[in-house]
Amino acid sequence: MKRLIPVLVSVSLAVLTLSAPALAADAAEYQAALTKTRETLSDAESKVQLWSTSEILLTDAEEAAASGDFDLAVKLATEARLQGELAVATAEREKKIWQNHVPK
Amino acid sequence: MKKFLIACFLFVVTVNVYATPEEDRLALREFFTQRFPDMDLNEMINGLYAFDEGAREQWLEMEDFPPYEIAIEDGEEAFSEPFANGKGYADCFENGGIGIKQNYPRFDKDSGEVITLEYAINQCRTDNGEEPLPWQVGELAAISAYMAFTSRGNKMSVVIPDDPRALSAYESGKEYYYTRRGQLEFACENCHMQSAGFQLRADRLSGMLGQATHWPVYRSKWGETGTLHKRFRECNSQVRAKPYEPQSQVYRELEYFLSYMSNGMEMNGPASRR
Repeated sequence: MKRLIPVLVSVSLAVLTLSAPALAADAAEYQAALTKTRETLSDAESKVQLWSTSEILLTDAEEAAASGDFDLAVKLATEARLQGELAVATAEREKKIWQNHVPK
Repeated sequence: MKKFLIACFLFVVTVNVYATPEEDRLALREFFTQRFPDMDLNEMINGLYAFDEGAREQWLEMEDFPPYEIAIEDGEEAFSEPFANGKGYADCFENGGIGIKQNYPRFDKDSGEVITLEYAINQCRTDNGEEPLPWQVGELAAISAYMAFTSRGNKMSVVIPDDPRALSAYESGKEYYYTRRGQLEFACENCHMQSAGFQLRADRLSGMLGQATHWPVYRSKWGETGTLHKRFRECNSQVRAKPYEPQSQVYRELEYFLSYMSNGMEMNGPASRR
């Protein structure tokens, strides 16, 4: 049993170390997520395709970060970014096919 | 010979890809002729009431005492009120601003911009040292309603001049109309061409033809008279796309395209809708 103690301690430390970032996001992680999201939404807006829901999510994310809830803030910012990516995908697809719907 | 063949090929490709505005308009009328073979297309200036007999009867009864009448009266009063410098709206428009709505939007060669009637009204104000009015409802919508009223019975006559900037603005509006957008991924075309005349909740969807002839509109839902750009914003919100600012370049170009498609149809604004 005594020989197992160092192994158990090592395993426990490894588990704690690996899971720590997933347990709680911090301000730096939120800022990184926010920057990516803003870039994506800006791209969507330049393609005349921004969703109305994305900016609401971004505002909610900023409020969550202001109250110190960085887990929620990162989650909301990520959701807004994913929406932005879908909007950009729509823009790129529609650019190729919108003409097909014009009566000829 | 080789150069000639290449030139012929490019000509054919160009003609097929870029239809002229007039070809677009005629093709659109043909589209609706095939969709509604028994309907007089000119009826489409009445929106959903062209498709729904019951709703049409209610609307015709409402027209005995139309809810937009107050906007016309307010608009006439505001239109006649001189600015602080002694000039007035009549000085800014051809024919003193009477019976001219069918010519809007127009392309301004000096600025290279599409000018809607509401945009021109506020331009007139700022050119004469007055503050611009809010775009969507209130005094501006009322003045526009009055000017629309004086244009009733005229035929929509929007011009796309032989200027690449004008054609580009028209094409941008056209692309906007046919492009799916928003979280629900709807294009204007999905509702007002593919689904025109179909039931959507309590109402039928209006068709694209004639959609620009009857603005501003008193909508029961709004409880007041509002401009076409207010409706554009509402449509965008309904499909969860971010709405643009009223009289933004995007919306002015959309109105340019939409209005050209109604060329030749009777002006019947202001109007009332549910």
